Amino acid sequence: MSIVSPPSVGGDLSPVESSIQDAKSKFGLRKIMKTYPMGVPLLGAYIGSFGLFGAIALLRGANPFGVFGAMLQSSVLNVGSIEQVILRAVPIALAALAVSVPARAGLVNVGGEGQLIMGAVAAAGVGIVMGSSYPGPLVWIAMAIAGALGGGLWAGISAFLRTKMGANEAVTTLLMNFVANDVMLYLIYQPWRDKFSSGQPQSQPLPHSSQLPSLFGSQLNVGVVVALLLAVLTWYLVRKSHWGFALRVVGGNQEAARRAGLPIARLMISSMVVGGALAGLGGMLNFAGLEYQLVPGITATFGYVAFLASWLGRHDPIKVVLASLVFSAIALSGNGIQLSYGLDGSIVDVLLALIVMAPLFLSKTRKALTK
Amino acid sequence: MVESRELELEPDKLEIALEPEILLGVSEISKTFGTLRANDKVSFTLRSGEVHALLGENGAGKSTLMKILYGIQPPDSGTITFKSSKVKITSPAVARSLGLGMVFQDLRLIPALTVWENVALHAKVGGQILQRTKLIQMIKSASERYGLSVDPLAKVGDLSIGEWQRVELLKVLIAGAIVLILDEPTSVLAPQEVTSLFEIIERLKADGVGIVIITHKMREVRAIADRVSVLRGGKQILCDLPAGEITNEDLVKAMVGEYVKPITNSERGTNKENDTALVASQLTLRAHGEGTGLKGVDLDVKAGEILGIAGIAGNGQRELADLLAGARLADKGSIEIKGQNLSSSGPKHYRRAGILNVVADPIREFVVPGLTVAEHAALWLAAESKKMRFDIGSATKWLHQVAQRIGLPLAPSSKRLDQLSGGNIQRVILTLAFADPAKGLVVSYPTRGLDVRTAEMTHSLLVESRRAGTAIVLISEDIDELLSLSDRIAVISHGRFSGLLDAAGADRLEIGRLMVEEAS
Repeated sequence: MSIVSPPSVGGDLSPVESSIQDAKSKFGLRKIMKTYPMGVPLLGAYIGSFGLFGAIALLRGANPFGVFGAMLQSSVLNVGSIEQVILRAVPIALAALAVSVPARAGLVNVGGEGQLIMGAVAAAGVGIVMGSSYPGPLVWIAMAIAGALGGGLWAGISAFLRTKMGANEAVTTLLMNFVANDVMLYLIYQPWRDKFSSGQPQSQPLPHSSQLPSLFGSQLNVGVVVALLLAVLTWYLVRKSHWGFALRVVGGNQEAARRAGLPIARLMISSMVVGGALAGLGGMLNFAGLEYQLVPGITATFGYVAFLASWLGRHDPIKVVLASLVFSAIALSGNGIQLSYGLDGSIVDVLLALIVMAPLFLSKTRKALTK
Repeated sequence: MVESRELELEPDKLEIALEPEILLGVSEISKTFGTLRANDKVSFTLRSGEVHALLGENGAGKSTLMKILYGIQPPDSGTITFKSSKVKITSPAVARSLGLGMVFQDLRLIPALTVWENVALHAKVGGQILQRTKLIQMIKSASERYGLSVDPLAKVGDLSIGEWQRVELLKVLIAGAIVLILDEPTSVLAPQEVTSLFEIIERLKADGVGIVIITHKMREVRAIADRVSVLRGGKQILCDLPAGEITNEDLVKAMVGEYVKPITNSERGTNKENDTALVASQLTLRAHGEGTGLKGVDLDVKAGEILGIAGIAGNGQRELADLLAGARLADKGSIEIKGQNLSSSGPKHYRRAGILNVVADPIREFVVPGLTVAEHAALWLAAESKKMRFDIGSATKWLHQVAQRIGLPLAPSSKRLDQLSGGNIQRVILTLAFADPAKGLVVSYPTRGLDVRTAEMTHSLLVESRRAGTAIVLISEDIDELLSLSDRIAVISHGRFSGLLDAAGADRLEIGRLMVEEAS
């Protein structure tokens, strides 16, 4: 069930569209769309995405099958890689839920990146202030609260601008990403700079006692469990709570929501703040469980990957978490390509984009074809 | 039970029967959507200089048939002949080139353009180059010929609804239509405008134009129709019957399947309490977008009284309904229910104070895409709910109980409301509005989209609410509905009340005159 779907193709098809339609039907796409459930053409589209990606690799002079092998090797074919995929999926999944929650209310949050950063910054601040003089669990909780507040307030600014002044939240959240990055850069170049780093701009490291403990001696840490619990909580909030229902109404028909007496501005702001808090916690878990220091590019653009993951999972918390795992794997598989083929790792971004576009393209086409 | 009849050649009908050429022949048209048989072997013939009324309730298949004739949808089977040659109407352009003109219920003109420009868009006189002088000349001569008085240079946005309709007619006539299809043409008109439309139709008939009029109003059939055909549930009940050969009672029976007793208003004025429940004074609202706004409206409705609001759409009734339901804030003025002042509070407070609302535009104001019928019931209850958990189970149960008590047939509660028909949506809205006793009820167009029987049930529900002591404001475009249900009728025109009458013994024409009264 999609709550935020692209505007449907209404009315008569324009001549251009119908000629596209005719061309398609020659390839039997119309027939496939009409006879099979959505999964079949979708699977075809994913295979096509990988094929196209392989073709791009081929163009760059690499053997596509070797590239796929290297990608699998560096993402899911050994335990160490799988653990890495899960660890990286934590900030992606939480930032993706930060997109999903406001999306229920019809809001577009492109600010996952900035909210991740502000969560990490707030957590780092608390970690630096508290130092090693407090017991670990106390610092973890303090950092988590700070992270949630940092991300939540950061998103809240955009929500406030939207509800009070009508500023488009997609634009303001996007711009706030750059502001967040600059805030972090200022802090690590100036007040929080690690004096022992050899000229590298980075913050003081989080004392060992304040770092999140690992799970059973693996690379994983308790942050993974926290992230899972947060995902379940989010699922409950959006699917089972009165608040989540009210968000759907606001997202579906604001006028109907208003007439039913729902507090629209409050619901919009709360959805963004809750979303931002989730991303902020993602930033905090990533900082306290994996990075331990603020460094430029700490989020590795996971905030944007998360945006795509939320759309791929149609803003449904469970699907969004699964999509985040897939995207984390693809993002990490770039390392393998870089190491064994010398191709730039960012080439996997092409694959990410293709995978997101495939279902969007198909659902549009399906609507146009099966009318 | 198709009661198709051959024309019997009686002496006095001989002339009509023999002479006029058959313009349009529709034979055994069928159309199926999924499992729904929208048209099941429907036939009728239209002769030159004749008005053919196509009757049926909502959902009888009239619109489907019209869409097929105008080339918007292809039929599954059946044939159409035009001037005795078989035709295939594959698009509206083909229909127009044959000489078929359609005037839709929702008039399709561009308000920002002038009359002649709108005509030019449709008529394509002189190829790609706009021939202003020629078009204006054509409009003027067609206006004179058919009595369609319209200024070709006027901006369409400044015209009244009646004038819009005349422009629509000019548009299709200048494009060369000799068969006109009018879809519920009187639904937007004041009584006077209806009379002048009928005069125009008479002139068109005299000119040999064949006219199909889609309607469900007996009055219109009697006034202008030469022949009638009736559809019910996609099936043909009557075909090409001369209008004089059937009584009103039999026609209604053909449309509905059984004779429905019209509502009588025996209870009118039986209210003994006489205490004023809903009072509004000096309601003022600036005009936004379309409507006229409100310019100082006073009203008082007693407990157990129905105040009808008559008026042509767009004269302030939407604004009035919104203010009375708390959906908008008045710029000036106050609203009280049983002495409790409600000014400057939101919809939630109105609900809590006991004012319920049947919205004027369900798609815009009520239906949430993606939500089921049951979830809309939950939304209706949301104003009262303080629970953290969203309890769809109890909302569903509540809806079932209410639906059983109210008695309006509802679609399954797990169906998505936005995928249901207008009538189904309206039944959900009405069921919710009548679920709990209300102090005040603001009802806009309650029977729109409903079949005759459910409309009748809705009227009884309103009468029951009145008996229970609810103060009801009933906004409707159907004067018959207002006359039969209301205790008093206020007429709204240009954002003001132009008159207030006792419904008992009120005169339709007097109401009509007040509807078009210019603001002084």
